[in-house]
Amino acid sequence: MGLRASRIRVPGLAGHHDPAAAALCTRAAAGDQGAWDDIVERYAPMVWSICTRFRLSDRDLEDVAQNVWLLLVEQLGKLPEPAALAGWLAATTRRECLRVATASRRPEPLEPPAAAVTGEVVSMAERNAALRAALAELPASCQSLMDMLVSDPPYSYAAISTALGIPVECIGPQRARCLERIRESSALLGLADIGGNRPEGDPGA
Amino acid sequence: MLEDWDDEQLLAALGEAIKARAAVPSWFVQTGKNAYAWHNIDAELAQLTYDSRTDADAMAVARLETASIRALTFTSAHLSIELEVADGSLLGQVVPPQAGTLETHTKAGMTISPVEEAGFFAVRPIPPGPFLLRFGTTDGAYVMTGWITL
Repeated sequence: MGLRASRIRVPGLAGHHDPAAAALCTRAAAGDQGAWDDIVERYAPMVWSICTRFRLSDRDLEDVAQNVWLLLVEQLGKLPEPAALAGWLAATTRRECLRVATASRRPEPLEPPAAAVTGEVVSMAERNAALRAALAELPASCQSLMDMLVSDPPYSYAAISTALGIPVECIGPQRARCLERIRESSALLGLADIGGNRPEGDPGA
Repeated sequence: MLEDWDDEQLLAALGEAIKARAAVPSWFVQTGKNAYAWHNIDAELAQLTYDSRTDADAMAVARLETASIRALTFTSAHLSIELEVADGSLLGQVVPPQAGTLETHTKAGMTISPVEEAGFFAVRPIPPGPFLLRFGTTDGAYVMTGWITL
């Protein structure tokens, strides 16, 4: 629980312009539980990843989750910039984690400088949320293929062929088609404005 | 941005996105979804403005005493709810003092108890898990605390 949530401002965490977040906030504020569930699904991974930086007990994690989302429920429809929802959630989560960690009398400071909650955390969360939304729009066959292609450790094409019942020589072209559909997905609209950090392995980074 | 990515980069980004979601325990997500039950609940959410656990002076005293008292204050625009945990009970005071009703919400359900004009109340037993208090004034206004775990 914390300070007046709408006034939370952490430099660099202002967030970005995410039209999908703004639309979901509007619908959730109007009483749409499905839109609320989508908000939670989109941003719970970011809230979780911030919490893990603080080494909290399960009890404290639950306390943080309850209060972060309660604060958001209360702020629905009142957020000054709903398109910057991810930034607001990141700042609120960080504040709640610090409160709980302090109250639990943790001996040492909880947020190592290297793990500070930065604008990059927010950008990544927005990008991940958009990519997952794009993936969810794909046909089931594409989703299964993508899941297997990104799995760690990776599956061989032979294993994918057996599991999904497609000939090995079709996997490459199918993969290209699925990725093309992701590029064209409406879920990624607005992502162009989101920070441009590229995934690992990018020679231009 | 995405237009500049080749297939390998896009696939790597998808992998990161999927991994980030898979790392989240389902109870953590469900806790977030459950919070929507508070949408449209008529109540002003009070802020936690004091916690003895985070107060350096109170902590210095607590170290000297065997039985430490936990004190919390939630403040809204109209009133405050002060809480004190001592000897296994949770005692409360509404400031300014006034009569009303107090709801204690836990994951198991809700109990209602009256608050006398002096504004004092007691919650017994102390809920073992997270709980939230919602005070209703005689004017029909409501103020609620955030989730509290003692």
